[in-house]
Amino acid sequence: MGVAHKLNDDLGAVCTYRDALHRSMHDAMTRDPNVVILGQGVDDHKGTFGSTLGLAEEFGAGRVMDTPLAEEGMTGIAVGAALNGLYPIQTHIRVDFALLAMNQIVNLAAKYRYMFGGRFEVPMLVRMIIGRSWGQGAQHSQSLQSMFAHVPGLLVLAPASADAILQTYPWIIEHHRGPVISLEHRLLYDVNFRVGAEAAATGDTPLGARVVRRGGAATVVATSIMVLEALRAADHLAQHAGIEIEVIDLNCVSHPDTRVIMESVERTGRLLVADTSWKAYGVCAEICRIVCERMPMALTAPVVTLGMAPAPCPTAKVLEDEFYPNLRRLTQELATLVLGREGRDVPLPDDASMADVYKRFKGPF
Amino acid sequence: MSVADTYERLFHAALRIRLVEERIIALYPSDKIQSPVHLSIGQEAVAVGACDALAARDLVFGTYRGHAFYLAKGGNMRAMFAELYGKATGCGGGKAGSMHLAAPEVGFMGASAVVASTIPHAVGSALAARHRKLDQVALAVFGDGATEQGVYHESLNFAALHRLPVVLLCENNGLAVHSPREARQAFGIAEHARGYGINVAVCEDGYDFMAVRAVLADAVSKVRTGEGPVLVECKTERYMEHVGVGEDYAAGYRSAEVAAEWKRRDPLCCEADLVARWTAEIAAEIDDAVAFAEASPWPSSDALLADVA
Ligand SMILES: Cc1ncc(C[n+]2csc(CCOP(=O)(O)OP(=O)(O)O)c2C)c(N)n1
Ligand SMILES: [Mg+2]
Repeated sequence: MGVAHKLNDDLGAVCTYRDALHRSMHDAMTRDPNVVILGQGVDDHKGTFGSTLGLAEEFGAGRVMDTPLAEEGMTGIAVGAALNGLYPIQTHIRVDFALLAMNQIVNLAAKYRYMFGGRFEVPMLVRMIIGRSWGQGAQHSQSLQSMFAHVPGLLVLAPASADAILQTYPWIIEHHRGPVISLEHRLLYDVNFRVGAEAAATGDTPLGARVVRRGGAATVVATSIMVLEALRAADHLAQHAGIEIEVIDLNCVSHPDTRVIMESVERTGRLLVADTSWKAYGVCAEICRIVCERMPMALTAPVVTLGMAPAPCPTAKVLEDEFYPNLRRLTQELATLVLGREGRDVPLPDDASMADVYKRFKGPF
Repeated sequence: MSVADTYERLFHAALRIRLVEERIIALYPSDKIQSPVHLSIGQEAVAVGACDALAARDLVFGTYRGHAFYLAKGGNMRAMFAELYGKATGCGGGKAGSMHLAAPEVGFMGASAVVASTIPHAVGSALAARHRKLDQVALAVFGDGATEQGVYHESLNFAALHRLPVVLLCENNGLAVHSPREARQAFGIAEHARGYGINVAVCEDGYDFMAVRAVLADAVSKVRTGEGPVLVECKTERYMEHVGVGEDYAAGYRSAEVAAEWKRRDPLCCEADLVARWTAEIAAEIDDAVAFAEASPWPSSDALLADVA
């Protein structure tokens, strides 16, 4: 299921999100003997959905440790290990389980450096996976990037592609001396991406936003799997309505790349924010704040935001389909944003063209 | 009621659960059940023995591996299948799926998919029961993995401190997903609970619903008469993979021989004539529940934002 998009057409290498994760874990372990992986099931035959598979065999049980079911304690233990020279990579197979570790993440890891006047560093990476589809329901599906990003002291990533992982993970593990929270998306694990550096962030670090499609009609700022939806919507509108949409992968949620966002919005005058989470107090709200504080007059139309319905996630497919913003809605909103009323006449993608990954995912987990 | 009657009642209840879950396995490839399912096949006797020892007014707080306790406590089978199908007539109206079954009308107070998270609810409910003089016992059921969580320790401490009427029932299947208990725990579950001054009973034969029932009946009566909380550790064996409808002995993390040994003692595997006697009748009940689920409507759009706050 190729998720090829225009910018990548002439690049050869193909890599799944899972392979990119695995490679980044493997490379980090190889580069630095003080990198350790701590997480439930990291050494089993499923290997964190494949992302840690075989690493315990290769690097030893002392560096790839299965843990008790003790999220808060294990996070504190990772903080302690980080304070004393290790680089812990911690895994949660669902974001929801990281909520048990909020005390250690928010009150300790995020504060350690500042609260002690810069005397300490807590370099560590906490990987957590957003679940979706196949009845994951209220407690296995949450996308809590903005809860983490709200807290100064945390660096929060939401990688949307294999490239994003291959470029950001090695960099943060080697260079960032504080706690990093990365929200990976379960449905991206099986997706093939063409890899190459052409959509890399443009700032000093690979953490910046990534312009993954150029266009002048409107700017979409998207996170995680919504970047794929935005690219699909943009391709559809280019084909069926001659509209060229610019798509920006936000990539780093906690430190949004205002330069890239503003430069684009100033050019297009129209902004749609598509996040995997709830809209209120989240990425949607934050991107609007950024534009409103800097240059609201750049906007020629009201901002449009897309996110989950303001409810916990239901399990029934019919409700889940309405809970999440889908390709049709995204395309419709974009067409109307650009064309006004006439946007309603633009043909919408049919069901078959919608994110095939959601249809294929049969869980169970 | 004679021992033979009790045996048959419990056998029937356990067989009913197994046949329900076997139907789930059969239906799963049709994709009509779009939900992660954590099957209790092999563990039914724990649910059946425990719920039989409780009074109807007593409350059970469960886990994502919840089909067995839902049914054993008296949850409606039609509402369960409808929920698995994501239908409006499901016990959670299509918002629960397999992992969040609930039947408060019979004292099954809901299942959470976050490990150990309902244990404190049972303790709190016991606090309420005592405060309101309800003569009601709360039972928290959880796996061996749950005993590693901080909230488990916090709950035990509070329950013991206030001598609350709560039964803490650990279904020890020796595994958390694919990790054996020895790889996760430096403590013994029973010894640890004794450290809080909690009464402990261990049932080694978790396939034997009569044995489970006897241990639980004793525990419940102690709790009911105000002796404080009791922890019951039931050894048991899950036959299927952690989540999903397959077997995974080939994956190498567990022993097929150990499972085979449990099956040799499991009445549901051994007693062919009792199985034969009731299978048709139970299958008809399941057919009816599945037909009900099939015929039921999907939740309507306005359900999406109903009951949020
Ligand atoms: C807080 C939390 N951490 C991790 C998980 C993922 N998880 C789901 S079931 C499970 C194993 C639980 O084992 P146990 O308590 O023994 O119950 P069993 O599944 O064996 O019945 C884990 C780790 C979770 N659901 N919640
Ligand atoms: Mg277990």
